[in-house]
Amino acid sequence: MAAEAFFLPASPGQRFALLHSPEAAGQVRGAVVYVPPFAEELNKSRRMAALQARAMAVAGYVVLQIDLLGCGDSSGELVDASWEAWLADVQLACDWLQQRNVAPLWLWSHRAGCLLANEAANRMRHPVDQLFWQPVLSGRQYLQQFMRLRLAAGLAGGESRGVMDELRQQLRQGQPVEIAGYMLSPTLAGGLEKAELLLPHRSGRVEWIEISSRPDAGLSPAAAARLTQWQAAGQQVRGTVVNGPAFWQTSEISECSELLPATLLAMQQGAVP
Amino acid sequence: MDIRSEVVSILDEVLSLNGRTKAFVLDTPLLGALPELDSMAVVALITTLEERFGFTVDDDEIDGSVFASLASLIDFVHHKLGG
Repeated sequence: MAAEAFFLPASPGQRFALLHSPEAAGQVRGAVVYVPPFAEELNKSRRMAALQARAMAVAGYVVLQIDLLGCGDSSGELVDASWEAWLADVQLACDWLQQRNVAPLWLWSHRAGCLLANEAANRMRHPVDQLFWQPVLSGRQYLQQFMRLRLAAGLAGGESRGVMDELRQQLRQGQPVEIAGYMLSPTLAGGLEKAELLLPHRSGRVEWIEISSRPDAGLSPAAAARLTQWQAAGQQVRGTVVNGPAFWQTSEISECSELLPATLLAMQQGAVP
Repeated sequence: MDIRSEVVSILDEVLSLNGRTKAFVLDTPLLGALPELDSMAVVALITTLEERFGFTVDDDEIDGSVFASLASLIDFVHHKLGG
């Protein structure tokens, strides 16, 4: 397994990228682009994403992780980011990887990154396989949860009344809002709010993995409903549940060791029956 | 479903308490007493409760008093479940 860190020329500026490749120069099983989650979930999940990228490379995949516009290591500040700019970044990563690899393309995404990856897949000319980790289904609901961080910050001091309305009004007036240290622009909030995990029209196979701390858990009701709907529409999709902590939101950085082999297995097993 | 043990196990997982919740009693104070219960953790807790119990929490239901103690949090879940 070999790792390389570099900057991809983009517009504007450049994007930080991390490439993991198999050691042996043999046949590459797949070319994977990782689309990360948003804000604090991005930080909390860095470790699991890194472990998985390495495990994929050892298993014969080449994996490109891209840091989106304004997400820390790339150009720009978060307030400069927009949904469209991030979609362009995902496309940029896919193009770069595909120019260097003939192996079939996979889009691997986590949480709000799944909304981005799914929309990027829909815009591609060729079908692409997708791997979801605990996907966010509704951008609107996700944005609400994110804005609640401001509400929660005022709870202890009893200063939470009306906070949500204030934030929404500020965004409506075209002003950015600061939430948990993240400067969210009205453009990005608008794009996120409109995003929905809709039936992918241009996808090959979709592998959908949920993580639950209960050993006997099935897919969440919302995920199960969406999967049934997609299957009825003829989409190849398979749901898997893995036991482990919700590492993208736990207070301490946590690991979900079962997820690593389960992800590889999902990718390597054949078409959905 | 045993709501109390479910709430305790969610607290333990979301706040990474590593079993410290075993010593929790109904009067155990939460918000302001547990350093792990910061704004991120409060939101994660609400989201996990919503997913696990299948109810939806409105913005104006989120109040400091809900997270005051283990008892108040369990009461809130009971109330949301229509009990």
